[in-house]
Amino acid sequence: MMHPAPWILFWFFVICCHLYLDYSLYRLWKGWSRGMKTGFAIRRLKMPVVRIWLYEVFLQRQLFSLSVMRWLVHQCIFWGFISLTFLSLTKFILLLLSRISFDAGLHDFFSQGAGYPFTKLWGDFFGLILFAGCAGALARRFVLRPVQTAHDQTDTFLTVYLLLMTLSGFMLESLRMALSPSDLDQYAFIGGLFMPARFGIVAGLGTWHAGTWIIHAFSGAAILAYLPHSKLLHSLLAPLVIALNAAEEEGRKDMYWPKTKQYRPTR
Amino acid sequence: MEMEACARCGECLAWCPAYAQDPRESICSRGKLGSLKRIVTSGLNGEEMKEFLEGLYECSACGQCHIVCPVRINTHELWERARESLVKAGIPQPEEQIKHLTAIRECNNSFAKPQTERGLWAETAWRAGLLKEPVRLWKEYQAPVLYFAGCTASFDPAMQTVAVQSARLLQEAGVDFSILGPDEPCCASKLRRMGDPGFADAAQQRADLFLRSGIGRIIVSCAGCFKGLHSDYAGILPASVEVLHLTEYLDRLIREGNLTPTRNVPMKVTYHDPCHLGRHNQIYREPRNILHAIPGLSLIEMRRHGPFSLCCGMGGGLKLAKPEIQKKMSAARIRQAEETGAEAIVTPCQTCQMGLMTGTEATSSGLKVYHITEMLIRSVCPEADRAHIEKAFTETETG
Repeated sequence: MMHPAPWILFWFFVICCHLYLDYSLYRLWKGWSRGMKTGFAIRRLKMPVVRIWLYEVFLQRQLFSLSVMRWLVHQCIFWGFISLTFLSLTKFILLLLSRISFDAGLHDFFSQGAGYPFTKLWGDFFGLILFAGCAGALARRFVLRPVQTAHDQTDTFLTVYLLLMTLSGFMLESLRMALSPSDLDQYAFIGGLFMPARFGIVAGLGTWHAGTWIIHAFSGAAILAYLPHSKLLHSLLAPLVIALNAAEEEGRKDMYWPKTKQYRPTR
Repeated sequence: MEMEACARCGECLAWCPAYAQDPRESICSRGKLGSLKRIVTSGLNGEEMKEFLEGLYECSACGQCHIVCPVRINTHELWERARESLVKAGIPQPEEQIKHLTAIRECNNSFAKPQTERGLWAETAWRAGLLKEPVRLWKEYQAPVLYFAGCTASFDPAMQTVAVQSARLLQEAGVDFSILGPDEPCCASKLRRMGDPGFADAAQQRADLFLRSGIGRIIVSCAGCFKGLHSDYAGILPASVEVLHLTEYLDRLIREGNLTPTRNVPMKVTYHDPCHLGRHNQIYREPRNILHAIPGLSLIEMRRHGPFSLCCGMGGGLKLAKPEIQKKMSAARIRQAEETGAEAIVTPCQTCQMGLMTGTEATSSGLKVYHITEMLIRSVCPEADRAHIEKAFTETETG
């Protein structure tokens, strides 16, 4: 039997983490505003700036030009993380809208109707991508050991954290499938590999499910609070800095485009 | 914000030419960004601050870390701003840099020489028969083009060849130009490079001078001055004043058929991209076009060229602050040039030329170091080559 999830506690935790994130970002902003002011003119956001921003943020051409391995790992983490966050947010928004009957039936469509396989495929595919990215990052750090790697334990912690979050996501999915099976479960092609029976877990599935839910949901929300103190901050700031610097380069007429074929000397 | 945006990937470390000679974390951008962040948040202790300052000034601001940074952090600008902030906070630059900056502020040139000597190269060259016609001063004749020689080519006897050859090539192409002569100011870009807080005012004064004089097009033969007038003055000098590097202009003149390299120059050369021209201004093609236009000349690229070109260590005040590191950096560049099997290394910047010569000295290399004008002169009008100019200038001095 599935135990009810501690939603109230969870949402209280989410709000606290969010408030902490807001406060931390405000403090950072206060710190930045003590620095030298550089003017940013919106008129500089011309096509080349937009183009380079799209290329650098979404395709990460610069990384590709330097190391295919790093590019692949980063792309996996980037797209995996973004896509899973998008999936969770969409499901949450549709759930809210369905409560006021304003979702045009989309919530039911994606959670139990014909759109369910799509949700399963999306979640499992990008979960796998994120997992592969994190595993690749750890392999690069501890096996390949490129000279330029910073031996910062917080970076390793974050990668392991994301890896475990992905694993807990797959486990949660498999427990949910074990507790309420459906014909469409076949679309959870990774979640299926984690079925509890495979690990000898046949009893107390409801408790296992509740425990895994707590771990997965709360660790996901805790990322909000951890973000300003971790390397994850660059996921917010890097796109901003790329846009600001590309706009300045456009102003000075010295914008550069990374060459993607000529140089790949680092790992 | 850029301090927080750094993902600590260490790409800057892998590429930094100064770190290659002195492998300490505090030298590379990742280390400096980390220290800067701590200065802003928790502060550094005495020993850490000392190390940070060493790293900050053991940097030629070549921009390699900017080019390889996946976050596109404008590192060299950040170091210049950091230097400026520290000076404002009462932490001055290294002593040798201060002397250099004082000379610029007091004498309007980095050689601490009287400004009256600035345009003498043109008179001497005319008297020695190295020019087709005398170079006129702007105050006497406002030509459509102003040739801006810069301090090094104006005052350094070893580099005046560049000014003479540039003027001669412009004359050969039929360009109607004049020079400011004793009124030519130092571009003041070195103030910016070394974090002098007076840069903004100095740049404004110079921009006002250009505007007051009604100058519409400036041709600059020094990569550092070009970076100054073209990039550092962005927002100060209106777009109506066109600033071009000599190589851009010569390439245009060759393509338009106004300048034709005719004589054979049977040489194998390699090309060194100056940081201020390449990485800082994305001018890679034009100088190469010029070399390709010279009959008989073959260009062999070095392992690191274009945006990844290895810095000779002359920029950002590094030569003044840490001459031993500059020597090692230029030696590394010379060794790369030797790998190509070329007999000479060519560059369109007199400062790089001087820097690379330090490298040939340090490595006892037989490789020749030439300014790009020398190659073109040999093909267009060999009577104004370096040997002739040096001979004529020596005779004038002794005479």
